[in-house]
Amino acid sequence: MLKFLSPNIGKVSFLIAILAWLALLFVDITRIFGMMNQIESGVVPEVSYILQVVFFIMVYIFYNYSITKNEKNEFLNLIWRGASTGLLALGISLLIRGFYGILGDSRLALDPLLRNFFYHINFAMTSLFLISCTLLWKRLILYQKTKKVVQQWQAFEILLLISMFFVFFNQNTLDYSFLFGLVFLNIFSISLAINLKWIPYLTFKEKWKSILFFSIILISSSYLFFQVLSYSDADQIPVNLTDNLLLIGLFAFVFIYSLFSFLVTLFNLPTSSVFEQKLVEAINFQRLSQSIKPGENENQVLDILIDSSMSASYADGGWLETSNKEGKLTLIQERFIDKKNLGQVKELIADSKALQHNNTYRKEEESKVFQVKINHNLYKSALVAPLLVNQELIGRLVLVKEVKDGFNKEMLNIISTFVGQACISVENYRLLNDAIKNERYKEELKIAQRVQESLLPDKLHHDESFEISAFSAAADEVGGDYYETKQLDDHTFVLIIGDVSGKGTSAAFNMSQMKGVFHSLVQTHSNPKDFMILANNALSECLEKNHFITTAYYLINTDSKKITYSRAGHCPTLYYNHRKQETYYLSIDGMGLGILRNKLYEKYVHEKTFQFGSGDVLVLITDGIVEAKDGNGVEFGYERLKTVVDENKNLNSKEIQDTIIQEVYKFIGKNRIADDDYSLMVVKFK
Amino acid sequence: MLKIENIDQTDHMVLQLSGEIDASNSVDLDAAIQDMISRGAKKILVDGSQLEYISSAGLGVFMSYLEEFHEKDIQIVIYGLLEKVHQVFVILGLDKLITIKNNQQDALEAML
Repeated sequence: MLKFLSPNIGKVSFLIAILAWLALLFVDITRIFGMMNQIESGVVPEVSYILQVVFFIMVYIFYNYSITKNEKNEFLNLIWRGASTGLLALGISLLIRGFYGILGDSRLALDPLLRNFFYHINFAMTSLFLISCTLLWKRLILYQKTKKVVQQWQAFEILLLISMFFVFFNQNTLDYSFLFGLVFLNIFSISLAINLKWIPYLTFKEKWKSILFFSIILISSSYLFFQVLSYSDADQIPVNLTDNLLLIGLFAFVFIYSLFSFLVTLFNLPTSSVFEQKLVEAINFQRLSQSIKPGENENQVLDILIDSSMSASYADGGWLETSNKEGKLTLIQERFIDKKNLGQVKELIADSKALQHNNTYRKEEESKVFQVKINHNLYKSALVAPLLVNQELIGRLVLVKEVKDGFNKEMLNIISTFVGQACISVENYRLLNDAIKNERYKEELKIAQRVQESLLPDKLHHDESFEISAFSAAADEVGGDYYETKQLDDHTFVLIIGDVSGKGTSAAFNMSQMKGVFHSLVQTHSNPKDFMILANNALSECLEKNHFITTAYYLINTDSKKITYSRAGHCPTLYYNHRKQETYYLSIDGMGLGILRNKLYEKYVHEKTFQFGSGDVLVLITDGIVEAKDGNGVEFGYERLKTVVDENKNLNSKEIQDTIIQEVYKFIGKNRIADDDYSLMVVKFK
Repeated sequence: MLKIENIDQTDHMVLQLSGEIDASNSVDLDAAIQDMISRGAKKILVDGSQLEYISSAGLGVFMSYLEEFHEKDIQIVIYGLLEKVHQVFVILGLDKLITIKNNQQDALEAML
């Protein structure tokens, strides 16, 4: 319902206002006809008063609506609206006066009907001007809303409303009650007129314009006021509409506020540049803090920095240097200063700095903005501001002036604030970039992790004569441990465990190479010694020169119950011999793959064969297990592992494996992070 | 933590290692050896008596120079290793390629 009505408020109120005005005119014309024809028309003045009140209220509603609707209300626009309405009212009034001047003493000039018509036009224009100005001033007064000002304004509006109806008591005659009301309204107007907080926001040019507009308003309102005064003595007017308390009160209010604004704006002119400067600084500050977005260059912020600093300090020239990793400064921005002068000033600053350092040099002074006197033929003072990010010098801003001691304390302050903000922006930018980069690395590591997990076998080959279980944990996202099984025929199985030198991603890559080598060789050269020699050949070609791989390789024949094995630099395998009731490490010489990358390697590869029996246990490990350290840096070690296996040899393979892992974790302590990869493969013969 | 000290003697150079060598500081060891080679060392004595731990990355550094030592006829002897560190060299088989001695005296004699 409301929604339906609201767009029409402007039109409806405007229409009613026109109708009320026409009615006023009609009522008066009726009266004049009555007077002329000596007939009592019987229309009491109250009818006119009521129509007048309706007219005022409708005009008020119309302007209130149209000013609020117009969102783009800048101060200057508002004042111009007031001034233009004033000009219009003034122009029409002057036209009417000119018209009567032309008519001279003709009959038409004395015609009461015409005179009354023009009176009504003047009345309407004056009312429009005053009410529109009042509502415009309302916007200005309430620009910075506080509770107090809002309440004051509401009280003023109520007063105006009361004064509108005052006409019913005094019939628009000048008496004491009228004067009392007027004085009261005037005092209120003055107290409201001190709300001029919008003026400083005008620029210098806008201030000049507003002074012009205010003078127009002052002239129009004065002229219209005197015109109204002249009407109160005129006798052709049957009902005086203009000696209304509201109109006179509004005259006072509009005039007082315009006068105050005019004077204050005038006196604000000389200092307006300071306020403008502060506003520019605030905007620059905001630009500095928002300037860098990801993907953009940090030079952009430095660009804004030097421009803002130059304008804040009225510097005659300046430049900006950034330092690279070695601390060498390179010039990236220069303003209004040529290369030759720049070099000279640079040396002078360096000299004066050296002098300072000799006297009282303190580290913290290095990070402050400071001013130096320089003895240059053009520039007399310089300001040096170091740019620090994380206490690290990233650059230097230098501003120069042609006068001595050209930089005051405020300038030093504002420039250090600018520099601080710029540095924070640069730092944020760098952090953000790092975060994005890290995020990408994490993603890639996740992929590597998935790939590597797929490299470890999901199935361990075995037959009914032995059971097998395996475990692997990586210290980083990806590890360098490797184990695998392979069934060559019904009774032949191969077990391999390996450890790639180094950790992390590079180790994981080498591990995948090892897997490839294993699968290509094991088909044709399953014999441990042959396998090692060929694997060494292959890996020598593809491993980096400081990388190597250690492996232990077991060929198990479940038919002949024989194990043939070879060790390439890998940590020894633990064996429990059930028949002998003995636990020991299988000892055999061997050299890591990739250590010796030529024919000589063959000399260092060995192979052994032994018979296994029921109940025997084979524990293949990587060095992470024996090198696991507790809080005091003591290693888990071979002996401790041997004891654990010895005590649990009768369990099945999975249970033995779990016990070892538990013992290792218990040993290193709960809260410590594993710093190496652990892998383990346990075989139990039935 | 790894501390590397380099002492030049009249006819040989001594590389003193103390602390732990792992993936993070193995590059320092690499740089130290590279430096000695570039200064024309012919006999390098590595004092490992203060060395508490060496990771596979550290072993990789020694390993990577074996060929260059051989080509340039540079002798390298490591001495004074703690038992557990020595074991690491032995398990990997590096003891077959690099001379490892118990003390400085033996090491100096091995060089001649």
